[in-house]
Amino acid sequence: MKNQANPWLTSNLFVLGLGLLPAAILIGALLYFTAWAFAFSFTDLALVGRKSVEWSWVGLQNFERLFTRRGFLESLWTTVIFVFFSAIVGQSVLGFLLAALLRGTQSSIRSVVEVCIMLGWLLPDIVAAFLWSATTSQTGLINQLIIVPLGFPPINFINEYALPIVTIANIWKGTAWSYLLFSAALDSVSREVVEAAKVDGATPFQRIWLVQLPIIRPHIATNMLFITIWTFTYFPLIFAMTGGGPGGQTQVLAVFLYNQSFSRGNLGFGSAISVAMLLIVGLLSLVYLRMLREPK
Amino acid sequence: MESTGPSRTTAIALAFMAVIWISPFSWLFLNAFNPLSTGQLEIPRAVGLDNFALAVSGNAGRQFINSMLIAAGTATLSVIVGISAAYPLSRLRIPGRNAFLWTLVLLRMLPSAGVLVPLYFAAQRSGLLNQLGVIIALTVLNLPFTLLLLKNFFDTVPIELEEAAYVEGASLLQIITKIVLPMSRAGIAVVWFYSFTGAWNEFLLPLIFARVQDAFPMSVGLYAAFGQQGAINYGFLTAFSIIYAAPAVGVYFLLRRNMNTGFAGVGVKG
Repeated sequence: MKNQANPWLTSNLFVLGLGLLPAAILIGALLYFTAWAFAFSFTDLALVGRKSVEWSWVGLQNFERLFTRRGFLESLWTTVIFVFFSAIVGQSVLGFLLAALLRGTQSSIRSVVEVCIMLGWLLPDIVAAFLWSATTSQTGLINQLIIVPLGFPPINFINEYALPIVTIANIWKGTAWSYLLFSAALDSVSREVVEAAKVDGATPFQRIWLVQLPIIRPHIATNMLFITIWTFTYFPLIFAMTGGGPGGQTQVLAVFLYNQSFSRGNLGFGSAISVAMLLIVGLLSLVYLRMLREPK
Repeated sequence: MESTGPSRTTAIALAFMAVIWISPFSWLFLNAFNPLSTGQLEIPRAVGLDNFALAVSGNAGRQFINSMLIAAGTATLSVIVGISAAYPLSRLRIPGRNAFLWTLVLLRMLPSAGVLVPLYFAAQRSGLLNQLGVIIALTVLNLPFTLLLLKNFFDTVPIELEEAAYVEGASLLQIITKIVLPMSRAGIAVVWFYSFTGAWNEFLLPLIFARVQDAFPMSVGLYAAFGQQGAINYGFLTAFSIIYAAPAVGVYFLLRRNMNTGFAGVGVKG
């Protein structure tokens, strides 16, 4: 396809190679860091103190701790729940419903709703965390507008329903991505197919469920995988809202990793957590690679 | 179009959703422009910019500059490193090129949390626990995506144009600066702004790398301010939030049409 005999390229191979060099070094560093994370997970390296210098190899001890001590498995379970409800049920389903509903409406309504959803998504994570902390606090918006007027005592949501609140916050923040993707996917479904189904007497529900959904299935798979991976490793929103608390209720893996590595200073054990995360994400990414390679 | 019945219900449902989505924002704005803000939802008795004045002076102003430095630095470094490598990657048949590109696709999925400890360790050993360290680390984490995107953009520049320029006597540098870069200007802008927004929003790396308060970017500054127990100054925090969010939101609406190309999956073409 490309002609190797392009003289302005072949006579400048050295310069072009030089151009590749910085990127190659940085990518190499990234791979090296990944390998390092694996190596650290077999040590008792610490953030401060004697063991930050005189660390030693401890074999599989860190990985034994993952499965024998409290913390990791609970955290993994919390992460799975958080990913399932906020990414798959919340963002994906809501994003699809919005995309499907908005197709039939006037463009003015469509752009208003679109801008509203997009704003949540564009907001920096920490601003979203602040907004939701404030909204759900004892004197916050939900208590002020709904709970107190109904005659109930104000509820400190972030303490009592921590995981549902961060899940809702993440749905609020992330739905736009799924919406954009599904919206584009639905645009690619040819009008004739939908019209034909309409002529044959399909109800609106059938048109979506039996005609459009199967056509955009590859997009659905891509979207699910992407948001699963992102949500699985998502850190700032939850950390800023709860820090993993109360009592570890919202300690997803990324927060667990941070707390172990940088609050407690167990860099070796923290690395073991990151290795576990890398393995899970790696597995999911391989699925993604396979999907990319398959002809659509 | 549907009959009016279901579409009206749909419209009401959508309006309801929009209200839910937007209500935290109305709270944000009502408090930010209210100098006597208490964190309640109320029509301000006075409207003023006092909160914004607070949110750009002193520590807060310093944090704005830090965020700018980190975001602009990361974006510029990413684009420079990206361009100089993406052009050869797009034009030359280097052995192992496809394997390299697939590695990039895989690395793009790499969570920063996964390499957090080694990143910290390396930065500590080389004295880079500062803003420069954050810039370099973010560039490294960004690079797989930047490279793939830029290569895709360069692939769309027709090689015949470069051939013609060569015949006219242009050097490699001239071909790149006069033809390739101008023709992929939109793509480069997308990559720059995408990296800028990513670095502007970044929280985890500065949290670990910034050791002193003077080095905090806005993300860490905001976190530190609302994480403090005791009296929360809602007026200041809401104004600060708006200033912090504005560049990220503004960039998107500025480049709305172009941006969407960058969000979809980036594949490898032969």
